[in-house]
Amino acid sequence: MTLKPFLIRYARQFGTLFGLVLLCIALWIATPYFLTSSNLLNIMEQSAINALIAVGMTFIIISGGIDLSVGSLVAFTGVVLAGFLHDGWPWPLAVACGLVAGLGCGIVNGLLVTLGRLPPFIATLGTMSVARGAALLYTDGRPSSGFDSGFRSLATGQVLHIPAPAVIMLVVYVLGHFVLTRTKFGRYTYAIGGNEEAALLSGVRVRLYKTLIYGAGGLLSALAAVLLTARLNSAQPIAGINYELDAIAATVIGGTSLLGGQGTMGGTLVGALIMGVLRNGLNLLGVSSFVQQVVIGAVIILAVLVDVLFKPKKK
Amino acid sequence: MFLRLFPCLALLALGLAACNRHAPESTAKSGSPTIALVVKTLNNPFFIDMQAGAEAETKRLGVNLLVQAAEREIDVERQMQIVENLIERHVDALCIAPSGSREIVPVIVKANRAGIPVLIIDTRADEKALAAAGGRIAAFIGSDNYDGGRIAGAFVAERLGGSGAVAVLEGIPGHETGDARLRGFREAIAAAPGIHIVASQPANWERDQGFNVCQNILQAHPDVKALFACSDLMALGAVEAIAAAHRTGQILVVGFDALPEARAAIKQGTMAATVAQFPQKMGELAVANAVKALKGEAIPASIPVPIQLVK
Amino acid sequence: MPSLVSALRLRGIRKTFPGVLALDGVDFDLLSGEVHILLGENGAGKSTLMKIISGASRRDAGTMEIAGVPVDLTGPRHAQELGIGIIYQELNLVPHLSVAENILLGREPMLCPGVLDRRRLRRIAQELLDELGLTIAAGAVVSSLGVAEQQMVEVAKALSLDARVLIMDEPTSALTSQEIERLFATIRRLKARGVGIIYISHRMEELFAIGDRVTVLRDGRYIGTKAIGECTLDSLIAMMTGRDLDAQFPKEAARPGEVALRVEGLGRNGVLHDISFSVRRGEIVGLAGLMGSGRTELARALFGADAIDCGRIEVHGRERRIRSPREAIDLGLGFLTEDRKTQGLVLALSVQSNLCLPSLDKYARGGVMMETRERAAAGRMVDELHIKTPGLQQRADCLSGGNQQKVVLGKWLCTAADILIFDEPTRGIDVGAKVEIYRLMNRLAAQGAAILMISSELPEILGMSDRILVMHEGRIAREFSAGATQEQLLAAALGRSV
Repeated sequence: MTLKPFLIRYARQFGTLFGLVLLCIALWIATPYFLTSSNLLNIMEQSAINALIAVGMTFIIISGGIDLSVGSLVAFTGVVLAGFLHDGWPWPLAVACGLVAGLGCGIVNGLLVTLGRLPPFIATLGTMSVARGAALLYTDGRPSSGFDSGFRSLATGQVLHIPAPAVIMLVVYVLGHFVLTRTKFGRYTYAIGGNEEAALLSGVRVRLYKTLIYGAGGLLSALAAVLLTARLNSAQPIAGINYELDAIAATVIGGTSLLGGQGTMGGTLVGALIMGVLRNGLNLLGVSSFVQQVVIGAVIILAVLVDVLFKPKKK
Repeated sequence: MFLRLFPCLALLALGLAACNRHAPESTAKSGSPTIALVVKTLNNPFFIDMQAGAEAETKRLGVNLLVQAAEREIDVERQMQIVENLIERHVDALCIAPSGSREIVPVIVKANRAGIPVLIIDTRADEKALAAAGGRIAAFIGSDNYDGGRIAGAFVAERLGGSGAVAVLEGIPGHETGDARLRGFREAIAAAPGIHIVASQPANWERDQGFNVCQNILQAHPDVKALFACSDLMALGAVEAIAAAHRTGQILVVGFDALPEARAAIKQGTMAATVAQFPQKMGELAVANAVKALKGEAIPASIPVPIQLVK
Repeated sequence: MPSLVSALRLRGIRKTFPGVLALDGVDFDLLSGEVHILLGENGAGKSTLMKIISGASRRDAGTMEIAGVPVDLTGPRHAQELGIGIIYQELNLVPHLSVAENILLGREPMLCPGVLDRRRLRRIAQELLDELGLTIAAGAVVSSLGVAEQQMVEVAKALSLDARVLIMDEPTSALTSQEIERLFATIRRLKARGVGIIYISHRMEELFAIGDRVTVLRDGRYIGTKAIGECTLDSLIAMMTGRDLDAQFPKEAARPGEVALRVEGLGRNGVLHDISFSVRRGEIVGLAGLMGSGRTELARALFGADAIDCGRIEVHGRERRIRSPREAIDLGLGFLTEDRKTQGLVLALSVQSNLCLPSLDKYARGGVMMETRERAAAGRMVDELHIKTPGLQQRADCLSGGNQQKVVLGKWLCTAADILIFDEPTRGIDVGAKVEIYRLMNRLAAQGAAILMISSELPEILGMSDRILVMHEGRIAREFSAGATQEQLLAAALGRSV
């Protein structure tokens, strides 16, 4: 009796995790280059940016919302950060300011949704365009590049032979998991997404928390922008196009319901890793980029389809 | 219950195994080197031609070729991932057409560290950034886009007979290739005092944006006599917009890249000229020189590919 | 009047779900022309039995005979062909089609293949409706009808399939008393035509009004069948719950203390007008009124969920402005909402999370949950309220209605609210759970809580309240003491002066 609810609760994540393991086994059989420690670290590093954005997306989707602006926020906060760096600010300060800018943009999204009562889809569709335009305006459309090595070590550095982006990703996931499961903020996120009216009538400050949730989304986009800028040694106003779709895909593959109220951080991490492993594996196999798109799309559909088909029927 | 993903993933695994069997290397000779060609995208005819040239040359030389590209031409991060993955795969040489001249630098450094020679095609890697990062490339193979822009500008100046308004469709801002073409074109136009560029707007290398931006320009500047687009795709979009405005034949359209479709448009008279680069040649030269480099032969640091105006 | 012809006979029906024995040797007999009430608390096995009869679910053991012929249903369609019709609590009509189209959906008369014979369609449907004595036009669009009329359309649809057995699951839950009368008139006509009706309802007074016989189930077991004339309310409750209940409303005398909540001249544009009243500690004040009279709106305004335009609210003698539910909760208010599924619970969250949601601050330090404290508080609530749940981590949507309602109540016990607004506290829950809720209200009042209870059930209002307010069109029409009669309350609710 105690095992069953546990299994039901975590079945979805185990399913996805099992999928990831199976995928890895398949690639291990298919190519000798896959299962090497350097390649696995390489995958973690490559998945980090999408995975970080997906952390924020998970919070937002669990709360019953959606954020289409994250890709543009990556570009915007990236060029703002580059501006600070080129103005000669010490890089930790510049990074902090970049993160604050991201947080601010996210809070604007949140305010549009809560005070403006706009549907999240519309609000963030708007800010997606505004942030992109602002990034292009700010830079005159040109990428800005060439940063000092201290800043770049955020992407190029290693901790115990693990690439820094992978370390940052893991730390953020542990934190994200903690916040989602062990804090008031996390509990309210589920409550708002599960039943906003009930949450409100239970005294949850729905507007405040929703705004903060979108703020967190912006903050994590900014963190992704920091890594991207350090990794490319360049901040582009056209960076991050379609990143919102990748982040939504990782979240959904990880079992978070687009209807809100349900989802886990671990699931999202596995979802992001599945996408990273797929892309890496298909590259290693020399599969054409067109086939790659088909495969990734199919995996998204499969993951959700399996979820729908096997969901226990309601009484 | 948590075994429910099993059937799906088992299928996927089988599919991957099947992919592997059809991968090029298994049909080619083992022991011969594998050269990777990473282009910007494979939905642009320019890079498809480049791929064709590279494939022909690999067949001739008996080496293996892997071609990879991001879905979108401007996705620098994805291109970086692809190159990283190819380094993990221990390819013997990398030929890259960079999506971003500066953004490609970190991954060149990674390839250097792995001891894999890098040949850059078509778009130059930013020399300052490369020097700052301590990266090396074996060779650059490409045309001088600046020259191409100048040829196009001179042609427009000549055909307009010394006076008139000119519009320009730019590529993505900050792109070495587009910027060089633009610089060349502007310089040639500046030499003709009666001719002015009245509008210069980015259409991001895309055909539909070429259409829209051109339509807007025609609204704002009905007196435009000539239009230069930094790529044929944008030029072809503009040709449609001009036709929609019933002004076909009244505006001189010059493109870049000499795509077959553009050549056909020139025959029909809807376009005036295009600048021919030879992507196929670039592909061939890239593979040939990569093989030479692998054999330890010396190769020149810059290998020019001719550029010419097609009227 | 019931004949002696057996319409349906079940013997020894058994059904197990993984881990649960849902039905254990249940017998059931239905005669043609009788209304046979099926009674039981939630989870007693009524729905499972109905699913087996209507072919939606298969029995594991036992026999089933329709009109004396043993049958083995293969599915709902098979049951339909054998003359078994079922009308669910949630209606299954296509709202944008006409009544006639709905009645004959999937069996429309055709002029030739592919072309509807609209005239015949309408005529057949109208004949059916007339036969039932209904004044519904066959051409009317379903969405333009009231709930009761829609229900009649369902009845007509079942009859058009030549149903000999008709199952009605809580048919009156959404109906007004006049509508219920009309439904009963229809049921009597059906009886006269020899249709056997299985009737499921939680409203005990209806059972006596319409039933011929009653069968009681408890925990999946058959308890007994009796003619309705032999039963009393108490004996039925005893059969259902397995224990004797002293009364349906175990009201204890109140010892009112000082005023906890005072409202003066409260108004909300177009909804509430000049509302003044007070509730004392230890007192249960009933709030009656028709649907739409402003009862729930008043509760929401008091709780800060809707803004007010004018008026004063005093809490424990001090004037307060309540701008959000959070502020109301901090002042010690609790609001047990009318609809637990859409307003009371986050169904996808666990019992524990739901119980602790309004009082989360108590179990968190610096925003971080203190898991053990939270678990202890929730566990205490589950014990105290006898919430039947496999565990604290069970999702709220897996509980029965009565237990869900206890969770909602538990939320406000966790916040230690001492001014409680109960909006339809016993709607849709079974008798046993109702009594438990009433006992809890008594206990809370005895501990000094002030309770404002909104209810549409006049017996409940009369049975539990110390004082009664009746609302009409956004105003408090009258105040009664506990000794009022149903007629007086109804007259006030309808706006008549008495």
